[in-house]
Amino acid sequence: MLSCVTSVHVVVRAYHLSDAPHELELADTAKMRGGPLSIDVSEEYEVRHDAEGWRVEVRGYLYAIGYEGRELVSYHWHPSGNSPITWPHMHVGANIQVGDRWLGKVHLPTGAVGLERVLAMVITELGAKPLREDWERLIHEAAAR
Amino acid sequence: MATRTDNEIRELSPEEWDQRVDEQARKRLGMSGEEFERRLNAGEIDIDDSPDVTRVAMMLPLHATHK
Repeated sequence: MLSCVTSVHVVVRAYHLSDAPHELELADTAKMRGGPLSIDVSEEYEVRHDAEGWRVEVRGYLYAIGYEGRELVSYHWHPSGNSPITWPHMHVGANIQVGDRWLGKVHLPTGAVGLERVLAMVITELGAKPLREDWERLIHEAAAR
Repeated sequence: MATRTDNEIRELSPEEWDQRVDEQARKRLGMSGEEFERRLNAGEIDIDDSPDVTRVAMMLPLHATHK
């Protein structure tokens, strides 16, 4: 599905069954075709094996969209760790002060966001040019899983 | 929620992954991966401090279960 917007390769730490999540990420920030947009992707995932077969489930993520080298919006989910913010949230790169807070530091709550929705957004609403003609099919298939 | 990709996938050994964490921490944050992990676990750095911090923190194996 990432091939809809980038040819940058993916690096993974492991595939095997484990009690703890594994990590994967795009090897580099991917510049997208059609303008000064870029994307960073990291995920934590678990490999499961049950009666229905093998399955990979996302347990955390970072999906960050950049514009002209600055972060425009990023979707985060890091459900445990030192941060008290354990729920899915987003940050916007808006240079707006809200009292003594910068809006960019505010954790804006979201539901769990699928990478396919982020990729669809950058193509249909931010103007990134897809690298594949069948990008809609891939995204719809991913959304259905 | 599951992710599928047709991009080339390279599986790194634990040593290669640690090296990648160290490289990214030095490049993005100006510190070693070991120092970054120690400071993150000590609460001196918050995962949401900056985009680069989040990016490197997400690479740490088991970062979600260290605490």
